[in-house]
Amino acid sequence: MRLTWMRTAVAAAGLALIAAGPAGYAQTIKIGVNEPLTGAVAASGNFVVNGAKIAADEINAKGGILGSKIELVIEDNKSNPTEAVAAAEKLIVRDKVPVMMGAWSSTYTLAVMPKLMEYKVPMLVETSSSDKITVSGNPYVFRIAPTSGMEATAFADRVGTMKIRKADFLVVNNDWGKGSADVFGKMLKDKGVAIGVIETMDASAQDLNAQLAKIRSSDADTLFVTTAVEQLTLVLKQVQALGLKRQIITTGGSQSPDQLIEQAGAAANGSYHLLFFPPWAPEATPNAAAAKSFVAEWRKRGYTFAGLTEGFRGYDGIHTIAAAITKAGKAEPEAIRAALWETQLTGLNGKIAFNKVGPSGKESGQSTAAVYVVKIDSGKVTLVR
Amino acid sequence: MHGPFSASTELDQLLQHIVNALMLGGTYALLGIGLTLIFGIMRVVNFTHGELYAFGGYMIFFLTSAVGVNFYVALVAAMALGVVLGALIELVLLRPMRGADIDTTMLIMIGCWIVLQNTEQMMWGGVAKSIVSPLTTEPLTIGPVSVAWLRVFVFGIAALLIVGTYALIHRTKLGKAMRATFQDRDTAALMGVNVNAINTATFAIGSGLAAAAGALLGAVFVVTPTMGDLAALKAFAIVILGGLGSIKGATIGGFILAFVEELGAGYISSGYRDAMGFLLIIVVLLFKPTGLFARAERIG
Amino acid sequence: MRRSLPFLWIAFLASVPLWLGDPYFLHVLITTGIFTIAAMSLNLLLGYTGQLSLGHVAFFGIGAYTSALTSLGFDVNIFGLRIVHEPWPVVIGFVMGIVVAGLCGYAIGKLSFKVRGAYFVIVTISFAEVTRLVALNWVELTQGPLALNNIPPFTVSFPGLGEHTLWGKVPNYYVMLVVAVLAYAVIARLVRSRIGRAMIALRENEPLATSVGIDVTRFLVLAAVVSAGIAGAAGGLYAHFVRIIDPDIFLFIYTVTMVIMVVTGGKGTLAGPIVGGLIFGILPVFLRAYASPVAQWIIYGVLMILIVFFLPRGIVPAVRAWWENRMGAAAVERTGAPIERAGADAHS
Repeated sequence: MRLTWMRTAVAAAGLALIAAGPAGYAQTIKIGVNEPLTGAVAASGNFVVNGAKIAADEINAKGGILGSKIELVIEDNKSNPTEAVAAAEKLIVRDKVPVMMGAWSSTYTLAVMPKLMEYKVPMLVETSSSDKITVSGNPYVFRIAPTSGMEATAFADRVGTMKIRKADFLVVNNDWGKGSADVFGKMLKDKGVAIGVIETMDASAQDLNAQLAKIRSSDADTLFVTTAVEQLTLVLKQVQALGLKRQIITTGGSQSPDQLIEQAGAAANGSYHLLFFPPWAPEATPNAAAAKSFVAEWRKRGYTFAGLTEGFRGYDGIHTIAAAITKAGKAEPEAIRAALWETQLTGLNGKIAFNKVGPSGKESGQSTAAVYVVKIDSGKVTLVR
Repeated sequence: MHGPFSASTELDQLLQHIVNALMLGGTYALLGIGLTLIFGIMRVVNFTHGELYAFGGYMIFFLTSAVGVNFYVALVAAMALGVVLGALIELVLLRPMRGADIDTTMLIMIGCWIVLQNTEQMMWGGVAKSIVSPLTTEPLTIGPVSVAWLRVFVFGIAALLIVGTYALIHRTKLGKAMRATFQDRDTAALMGVNVNAINTATFAIGSGLAAAAGALLGAVFVVTPTMGDLAALKAFAIVILGGLGSIKGATIGGFILAFVEELGAGYISSGYRDAMGFLLIIVVLLFKPTGLFARAERIG
Repeated sequence: MRRSLPFLWIAFLASVPLWLGDPYFLHVLITTGIFTIAAMSLNLLLGYTGQLSLGHVAFFGIGAYTSALTSLGFDVNIFGLRIVHEPWPVVIGFVMGIVVAGLCGYAIGKLSFKVRGAYFVIVTISFAEVTRLVALNWVELTQGPLALNNIPPFTVSFPGLGEHTLWGKVPNYYVMLVVAVLAYAVIARLVRSRIGRAMIALRENEPLATSVGIDVTRFLVLAAVVSAGIAGAAGGLYAHFVRIIDPDIFLFIYTVTMVIMVVTGGKGTLAGPIVGGLIFGILPVFLRAYASPVAQWIIYGVLMILIVFFLPRGIVPAVRAWWENRMGAAAVERTGAPIERAGADAHS
């Protein structure tokens, strides 16, 4: 019996080797995509992937790059940091991608970063905004998303016009939420605004009544909320149910106002949102032609309009990577990393070019980004100029 | 006194927590009653209970959004479909296993739980779904306390179902047979009770209640493929608190859990909200292993 | 032949990295091995004492967190008392993980005497859920949802040769293999000893066992401590191999994975969890091409139901029965099956 087992095991291992062999097709350039497709922040991850697919198809329709088509190898990180690492490991070791895009949440990106050092593969960060990512001395990280600090600085001018005197925070208890509360809190204090309570919530929490009841007993006039769109819907609904009258400002660019209007209804009225792409006014963006055709293609594919504010990140990310590969002249990790420093293009958000940040000698790349403020009024989104 | 920018007092906050807990307790009780019936009468640790809860949520979502059915009709339909699915599970998976030990049926239920959850994920994806209810989103405000009309509606329906189940058990022939089976399965069989039919009915009713709870809370929060996991664990907690097979116990257990969670989250730490219930179970089982309100239990 | 077979097996497993060219498959084998160790430990409780501990992942997670935190160091405030822990070598962390998990096993073992059956199941699930929520919320210690990252890999030091850090997959494979062999040896010795026979007697007929003077509590507690300690060792291996852990490590689904491995392979047999572990560890690699992870889980669920229905005792006993049937009594002698039988079911 045991011998039979051994034979089976050997056969199994052999088969597995065949199965594990080169899975893709020759003549394509692989780009790894590491996004949350299931779990707490799945909606956002799926939107980013939609945008990435549009970019890839656009590039391939024009004949690809370096004479080859690009192929997105998409892995689900299941809204979990350990799974994000497993996905990166699989993309690098098994699919042998020379470059990746990911991993949406700052927590997942930070988790993946040691793997980039270990295998020397560059990653383009399309969404994560924690300041920690680019200052840790990881030379394989290139970020097109603005940091929470950049977002707070961009918002500083509006503190006066929005008459903020005292602010509370309700943020998701991860790198993104806490980092955002830190930098916005600091910016507000510098502007002479008082800080009330800072409440946190788990990314998968649905009943936020306890936190909101506490916030209700504070005398602040403004509530800053940082979380993904799924949870934001719940926050807005529960805020309204508690009769909490506050000026609500959401940060981070992953709020999708249209989805809020659809799912939270009147509860979304009067709220302000900091975003990095305004699909309601593509003409207001630096690359208006590309923005219009992106919005048109998105609609044509039947993706939900609400996803555009997130989907543009995937589009910009893949275009940036493709430009870097073209510049590098070959699809190899080190060449792409070097080429990313030279890469310049105008994306949907604005101009993309990487500046060196972090400890000298092992700087990470950080592009500056434009920030847009929109307001929801009686079920309509308007750009606050 | 409670203007837009005024501070409410500590007392107001406490009142708000109490109202929140009451609203939540109703659905918890509903979830617990379904499980306690199955646990008590069939001696099955029903790991599919949470999935029936999620099933209810998905059905009301599917019926209102894809089919375009009226919200209230969809609610009733979700519950009815829960009854059907429960009956099917009992007929296909549990009936052939009658007489097997409790661990064996538990393993089957775990297998079934995995299949159901992943089927839901396959059909509707991993992205959370929202259900649009026809009720006004303006809150009901009484003095310092505010609550959404939807929560009041959910509480009302839950209360109705709890009372209905209680009446079913105590006022009908089926209920009498169920109670007899709970007391002593063999004697009940000898007295001419069709134990097979009682099992199917019990599992179907329990599943229907879980589906109703899922449809109700799904409308309040959002529907996700994994929403059943925590719900199942909480249902176990409620049943343990209330004692095996006791509807009254499960009702009180549901409210206790809701109060402990809400007050714990409000005054100790919101992060430990879900831990409160489990700590409570461990403490209760250590000091009073038969639950807080259990009558002497008979293994049969 | 009978005596040398285990060594042949070990030699075969030890040779795997030499001829297996694919690093990704080696990665899969290491995680498979780690979960197989955990399944072996669960089998001790589930298969030999009959206690369905559905919170087993708690011991795995506690081992992982303890080992990671001991080797990373921490700085926490408990009710105003500041506790600072400087990083210790990984090996000490690994041992601490086993000890702390074992202590928790002691508590659960004591408890299992007090509450039985369905109640025990619920208590163990609750215990695992509480550990998960503590890991999620005690951010100062565990980093909560931010995950414990950059956990140091194993190091080995030989006298005179200095210290070596085990970065790659091949050394980690051997570390896993050594721990797996040790765990197997401990469990095998335990279940074949007088204590093991007492445990099986307990599983089969507790009143009878008690009446002939078997100290129920002592044996249950011993089994729980050993089982939890081995699960903790698996957790430690996992933490230092994957080098990142987050509170989701305590999710119920991982316990379920272990249960599936044990039940499929054959609970109460030494080979069962290994067979089950290999099947469910490697199966995903095959299924990948044909089925999404969600579809794979559906297949596992169906498989689990089918096995409980048609092979209630698992693959190993079924294959053994089939083999014995075919080969007759002579073959039984040759393949060494009686040894396993002695531990598994001869005394039932």
